[in-house]
Amino acid sequence: MELNAVLGLAAAFTITFSAIGGAYAQGKAASVALEGIARNPAAADKLFTPMIIALALIESLVIYAFVIAFLIKPAL
Amino acid sequence: MMRLFTLALSLIVPSAALAAGYTHIGPIAAQLGVKEHILTFIFVSTLFVIAGLIYRAKVSGTKNPIIPDIGITFRNIFEAMGQFIYNLAVNIMGEESTKKYYTVIMFFFALIFANNCIGLIPGFLPPTENFNTTLALGTFVFIYYNYQGIRAQGLWGHIKHFMGPVWYLAILILPIELISHGVRPLSLGLRLKGNMEGDHLVLSIFSGLIPYIVPIPFYIIGLFVCFMQAFVFTLLTMVYISLATAQHDHDEEHAH
Repeated sequence: MELNAVLGLAAAFTITFSAIGGAYAQGKAASVALEGIARNPAAADKLFTPMIIALALIESLVIYAFVIAFLIKPAL
Repeated sequence: MMRLFTLALSLIVPSAALAAGYTHIGPIAAQLGVKEHILTFIFVSTLFVIAGLIYRAKVSGTKNPIIPDIGITFRNIFEAMGQFIYNLAVNIMGEESTKKYYTVIMFFFALIFANNCIGLIPGFLPPTENFNTTLALGTFVFIYYNYQGIRAQGLWGHIKHFMGPVWYLAILILPIELISHGVRPLSLGLRLKGNMEGDHLVLSIFSGLIPYIVPIPFYIIGLFVCFMQAFVFTLLTMVYISLATAQHDHDEEHAH
């Protein structure tokens, strides 16, 4: 196989799998936070900030994979 | 007025030229010999300084500056933003730390938000799309919180933070702590850069496909992402400063 084909496939698979993992983890974090807000609506403000921190930290791992995918993709 | 201005700007350049990579500041930057993201950053900063001077003039013109105006005015937007970040900082850092570090925190939030948002106007590239800008901002946060930590607790007290809770585990914990601290400016920079580049790419591709009604949801997502990335950057800065300058009078456990 030529080099450009392998690099293209690698870039596509990188972003695909990291998006799957990232979406699953963010769904778990958001669902637990929403459940906490549903049990105790007065605590919504105190739960919001840590939920946002958690979502952004999980998303940053997906962003690292996106940056790598952009670095290794071959110029078409 | 602002809507008219944006509409006028977006009508002047046809969408085919925008899709091919034309920006308003590109030719000016090429003529002056500086890079485009630096010139856009200087442009946004100049706009911000002018906005700050206008705000100062409006505040000094009123008799009692504590009472806010009625409705949405120029002054109220800045004060709402300032109050939002102030409440957040009081929740994370406590009252007296907020008074010391509020200026720098508000500076980061406002600057990053403005720089992100200028990418939404067709014909401008956000300067935070370039890794150089975001790495510089991340490095500044790193230097700032280390400097404040050394100032608050002395050099030996700051280094003792890296050793962990007990002395006989220090030889294991010290490399982990050093690596995790060293990665912080990189992670701050990469997060901001990746989000801005991905968002601008999606926006430009969809605007290139169907330039008229369909990009509106992408603009809404773009505004949300701009605000959220500035918010997360500011939040992490506050957490790092509070971790570095935490006083050990009362028994609080360190979250590493």
